[in-house]
Amino acid sequence: MSLSTEQKATSGSITSYFVDQPRFPFCKGCGHQSVLRRLNDALVSLQLPPDKVALVTDIGCIGLTDALFKDIHTVHTTHGRSTAFATGIALADSLLADGKLKTIVLIGDGGAMIGLQHLVHAAMLNVDVTVLICNNFVYGMTGGQGSGLTPECFVTATTPKGNIVPPVDICEILTASNAPFVARTVATDRSLSDLLAKAIAYNGFAAIEILELCTEFAVPQNKLDGQRLYDIAKKNGWGVGILAERMDRSPYAVRYREEVLNKTDVVSQLDAIHRIGTRIPTLKKPVSILLAGSAGERVQSSAGLVATAAVAAGLNITQKNDNPVTQGSGFSVAELWFSAHEIGFTGITRPDFLLVTSVDGWREMYSQRVFARLDRSSALYIDETLQVPECDGVVHRLKLRSVFGGKDAALGLLVFVLLRHDILPRDLVLRVVREKYRGDVDFFFTRLQQLEMESDRGNVSR
Amino acid sequence: MISPDTTHPPHSLRLRSGNQMMAEGALQAGCTFFAGYPITPATGIFKTMIDLLPARGGVALSAPDEISAVAYCIGASMRGAKAMTATSGPGWALMTESVQYALMTETPLVVALVQRLGPSTGGATQGGQGDVLLAEYCTSGGYTIPILCPTNARECYELTILAFTWAELFRVPVIVLSDKETGMTIESVDVGSLPSITSQNRPSNFAFRELGGFRQNERKGTYYFDAIHEIPVFAPVGGPRKVTATGSAHDKQGRLQKNSPETLEVLLHLEQKVRWRLDDFAVVTADLQPAAGTLIISYGITARAARDAVSEARRMGERVSHLIVHSLFPIPVKKITQAAHNVDEVIVAEENMNGLYRSVIDRHLAGKRVRGVNKIGAMITPQEILEAIMS
Repeated sequence: MSLSTEQKATSGSITSYFVDQPRFPFCKGCGHQSVLRRLNDALVSLQLPPDKVALVTDIGCIGLTDALFKDIHTVHTTHGRSTAFATGIALADSLLADGKLKTIVLIGDGGAMIGLQHLVHAAMLNVDVTVLICNNFVYGMTGGQGSGLTPECFVTATTPKGNIVPPVDICEILTASNAPFVARTVATDRSLSDLLAKAIAYNGFAAIEILELCTEFAVPQNKLDGQRLYDIAKKNGWGVGILAERMDRSPYAVRYREEVLNKTDVVSQLDAIHRIGTRIPTLKKPVSILLAGSAGERVQSSAGLVATAAVAAGLNITQKNDNPVTQGSGFSVAELWFSAHEIGFTGITRPDFLLVTSVDGWREMYSQRVFARLDRSSALYIDETLQVPECDGVVHRLKLRSVFGGKDAALGLLVFVLLRHDILPRDLVLRVVREKYRGDVDFFFTRLQQLEMESDRGNVSR
Repeated sequence: MISPDTTHPPHSLRLRSGNQMMAEGALQAGCTFFAGYPITPATGIFKTMIDLLPARGGVALSAPDEISAVAYCIGASMRGAKAMTATSGPGWALMTESVQYALMTETPLVVALVQRLGPSTGGATQGGQGDVLLAEYCTSGGYTIPILCPTNARECYELTILAFTWAELFRVPVIVLSDKETGMTIESVDVGSLPSITSQNRPSNFAFRELGGFRQNERKGTYYFDAIHEIPVFAPVGGPRKVTATGSAHDKQGRLQKNSPETLEVLLHLEQKVRWRLDDFAVVTADLQPAAGTLIISYGITARAARDAVSEARRMGERVSHLIVHSLFPIPVKKITQAAHNVDEVIVAEENMNGLYRSVIDRHLAGKRVRGVNKIGAMITPQEILEAIMS
């Protein structure tokens, strides 16, 4: 990108980032104009390449700045979200591009409040974004309504009797959010451009609250002049100057590179269990198993384990899980289809095998009317402690929980049924169980044998 | 962890959820940036991206809310990244402000929307197809947002890649509309047979320069086009070409303007660039039977039940056609009217109360008897569709 000759001084340096003869769209005496002039001065002092500066602006008067700047990038956004869009730009620049972009946000007091979360998170992450919070105590563009940063007693369009709600100290919020660079000053501060240059040059998140006068909606109503801005700060207990300057915080991009980027896949090992070979599927017709038990008793994970064996057997499988919104309480259900062919509908209206391991599962099956839908082709396997429901299925009561205990009841019953009915090859089923317990599996097989013996002794039927 | 079993030949069946496949499709498409916020039933996409993307040199991070998540993605996309986020209905409600911003600023973006039962927080672990129109008509002005809708885990992969291609080529937000049952159900996927295609890239200044064209347009502005359906050349924020991006009504240079003819032309262009390519956006699976009197139209999770129902109906001697719509929007009008050409009756099966998709395709089915199979709270079963066919 070539700079215009007007911008190039004889020394080759940039003398202004503004367009030629910028026309400021602000009311006479508005603080925004001086803030923008000081911002331009700061950019000039830093001599940043214009294509390495992005000005991200919010909704509100301070956002009407795109047309003032000549060669830098401008991104005019939605109300309050400017910091979030800027965070995305900065993250991508620092981690996916050349990392040379300086991203600057212009936001008002209204935008700071509606977008507070974005400011807090940008501070927490410590992205290379500099935010100028231009606090003129009112929403200027919509007619001078009060904001969350409006001082007490302040007369605004929405506080005609004077503001009765104490304002937030935005700098304190951001300091508490671990922002490494936080400052507050006033628009008429002669050293503002130096402060801005320092903030922009800082590699990380910097926030500067600039107290301003809204000449249209704040000055006449509240008898203000530039000097009074310091009084307002003092009266509200707002510190002025650099309020936080931390050298101990690394930018997010640095930490991300150190700890996260290009590190080993967390789940790439998951597939290892699937690579146990294949065989020609032997299942004659699709089989459905509905397993119902309690959350925390490994219902869905046991179904998943069996699913890996099914895949190794060359079968298609679907595992549809259901549970309440909570993760560790109430019922837990897994619906499994095994088929040599593609599986369509993944739900199970009337299971070939209904396996109920606990009272939570029983209640859910009852309320979903699954028991009532069983017919003589269905088998119900149920723990002996549970009430046998009215149903047409073939019922098998088992000493399931007393043999396996709650934690292994689901897997124990699944394995028992799969083997008893030749649904999956025995060696594959036992293999995935062995993998799960990492070889320490004798206890499981002992219990399985016990269950098989118990059931053979005649405890199986109703 | 486990050494391969050498007694059996290797194979490529893997267990995957639709959510995982969507994440893997995004990686295959070259997605480099993902920001997310947890929400059932979409969390699996977020989690898979957190686990897989950084290892491939990309950025995946947690945002403090859905508004931030999608805004981070849009910002990253403006900087040149291929970006994606994932959410469900309640999170989508928060994202729509920024999705409109992506549309207005012609910023490529992919959003995975995994539906759950609504309204409001509804049922977090219950499925549904109730967000179809909430997703499509989220913009003031009703701009067409392309929506792709997978029926299984494999299609989650394939359609996510396609979503990136559309987002990148046409500089639009694209939604991949899944649901709890498609997203969270785990199924066997033959990963060895997945397509090895990746997504195409946005038309960049560089690419056009390589092609020897558009040089004269370089300085004409961020949103410059000649013909109204043309896609403006993309320039990243932070790149050598000045970007003037804005979500406010603007001219081709990105200058905020009120009602100038050029501004209105830009607004029309945002719709026309999609409309002009209607045929390119049509993705369906047509299983048509000669002399069929009934056409079933289905999409997403319900298509699986519909497929079973159609097989069963045919086994019983019924003549019935089936059209699975994968690209819900823009509405593939030609494909729908072709499929419905000779039938007397069209049945639209979808898991929502009022027949949301039926209500927008109805007008393209003039002269047909149009009915719905609708339900909330649970998947529509093959039996329920079969009964509709037979009645």
